[in-house]
Amino acid sequence: MNLMANILINVITSFLGGSLLLGLHRKIMARIQLRPGPPIIQYLLHSLKFFFKETSLPKTASPVFYISIVCILAGIWTTGVIVGPVTQGSLLIMFGIYAVYKIVEHNMGSSSGSPYGKLSCVRAVFSAASEIPLFAVVALIFFQTGTLSIAGIIHYQSVNGPLIFTIPLAGVMFFILLLTKSPYSPFAITKGKELISGYETEHFGFLRGFLMFSESIAWFIMSWLFLTLFFGPLSVVYYVIGMIAITVVTAFINATSPLLNPNHSVMLQITIAFVCIVGTIIMMVV
Amino acid sequence: MDISSLGGDFLGIIPLGDIVLYLTPFHLFMCVVMLLFTFLICISKTETQVEASFGKLEDTKVSVGLNEFKQRRFLSIICGIATAGAMITGDLFNFTLFMALIGIVNIGIVSAVKQTSVLNAAYQYGLIAMMCSLPLFGGAAIILASTGTLSLFELSNLATTSAMTVFGALLLLIGILGESGVAPFFATKAEMFRTPGSPFLVIIHLSSLFVVIRAIEILLIIIKVI
Repeated sequence: MNLMANILINVITSFLGGSLLLGLHRKIMARIQLRPGPPIIQYLLHSLKFFFKETSLPKTASPVFYISIVCILAGIWTTGVIVGPVTQGSLLIMFGIYAVYKIVEHNMGSSSGSPYGKLSCVRAVFSAASEIPLFAVVALIFFQTGTLSIAGIIHYQSVNGPLIFTIPLAGVMFFILLLTKSPYSPFAITKGKELISGYETEHFGFLRGFLMFSESIAWFIMSWLFLTLFFGPLSVVYYVIGMIAITVVTAFINATSPLLNPNHSVMLQITIAFVCIVGTIIMMVV
Repeated sequence: MDISSLGGDFLGIIPLGDIVLYLTPFHLFMCVVMLLFTFLICISKTETQVEASFGKLEDTKVSVGLNEFKQRRFLSIICGIATAGAMITGDLFNFTLFMALIGIVNIGIVSAVKQTSVLNAAYQYGLIAMMCSLPLFGGAAIILASTGTLSLFELSNLATTSAMTVFGALLLLIGILGESGVAPFFATKAEMFRTPGSPFLVIIHLSSLFVVIRAIEILLIIIKVI
C-alpha cells in the first residue's frame, strides 16, 4: 500500500477507534456508578462538534504557545501512529513522543495564565518525574529482547512467546502508565476536579477539538503499544478484544477509586516502578 | 551491538572536526522537536499569570518585565540549542558538556525572577547541579579510562563491559539525574515553575526529559547486558 494512504488510514482508524473506546470507558464508568451515562458515540460527536465552535483567546495568554502547543500535540500523536502501527519503528521515539505529551500538559496549563492551568502545570512536572520511570520499561524490554525496534520485538515474541510471561512486572509498569492516562484516573493529578479541567480549562473551540482528537489517538496508540509489546503478534480481532478489555478494566478501576492527592500519586507510581524494575531484573537474572 | 537497534535505521553522520554528530530517526525526531520549541520561544511573548489575592476579592496579575524577558529568552534559546546538540552528538564528552551547559542555563532562566520562593528553589537546584557535575564528568572519565574511547560508535562495538565501565556509567547516570533535576531531585525544581514565563519554563522541563531519554540510549550502548 502507498505509504501516505497507509498513514491516513491508520490516523483515521486511530481517531475513530480511540474515540469509541473513550466513549465506552465513560459509559462503563457511568453504569458502575448507577448512572445511565452518555451514548458510546458521544465522545466522537463532542470531538467533531468542537471544530465548529467559536475559539476564544484569553487576554492573559501567551498566544504563540497557547495555539501551537495543541497543534504540536496533534502532530506528535500523528507521528506516534507513523512510528507505531505504520512503520513499527523505534520504541525510543515513542518514549520521546510520550515526553512531549508531558510537555504539552505542562505548557498548555501555563500558557493560558489561568491559575487552574498553572497548578496543573506544576503538577505535570511532579507527575513527569513519576511517569517517566514507568516508561523506562523500554530498557527492561531491551535487556530481554536485544532490540528497541517494535518490529524486532514482535519478531522476538513470535519465536520466544509473549513478553507478558517472561517479564510480567514490566507489563504491570506499562499498564499503570496506561491507567494514568485514562480519563478520571486516580493518578490523573493534572486534571483533578479541584482544578476544573486542569490544563484543558481554557482551551475551547477548534483547539479543544484538536485536543480531543489527539487524546483519542493517544489512547488508541498506548493500548496498541501495550498489546504489541507484551502479547506478541496479534490479529486485528485480538487487538480489538484487547483494547476493549483494557478500556473495561481501567474504567472499572477509575470508577471505584478516588483521585489520589499529588504526593500520594507520585510516591505510589515511583514505588510501583521501583518494585517492578527490581523484580524484573531479579527474574531475568534468576 | 548495532546502534540502529536502538534508534532505528542509521541515516548518516555530520562530521564537525572531532565532534561527530550522527542521525537515526530517533535522534532526528528529538533534535527537530527541540529546534521547533526553540523557534517558538524566539517568537513568543509571555503570559500574564493571574493569582488569587489573600484577604481581598481581587486578582493579582503577575507579568514578566522587559529586562527579565530578554535575559530569560536568551538563556532559553541557548538551552534549546544545547539540548538539540545533546540529542545528536556521537561523543560522550560532548554530551556531558552539553548537559553541564543545560544545567547552568536552567538555573539562569529562573534566577532572573524576583520571587523569594522561586529563587530558593533555583538555589537548591543549583547546589544539586553543582554537586552532580563531579559524578557527571567523573563517570565519563572512568569510562574513557576503562575503554580507551568516548566515541559512542566505538563504545557500541565493544564486545563486553568491564565492572569499572558499569561503575562509570552509573556515576554518569547520577550526574545526569542531578544536572537535569529529575527524580529524585525533582521536588525543588517543581517549585521553580510557579513563576510566570511559560515559554521559558517549558524549555527547562523539555530539556530535562529529553536528556534523560538520550541518557537511557547512551547507557544501553555502554552497558552490554545481553
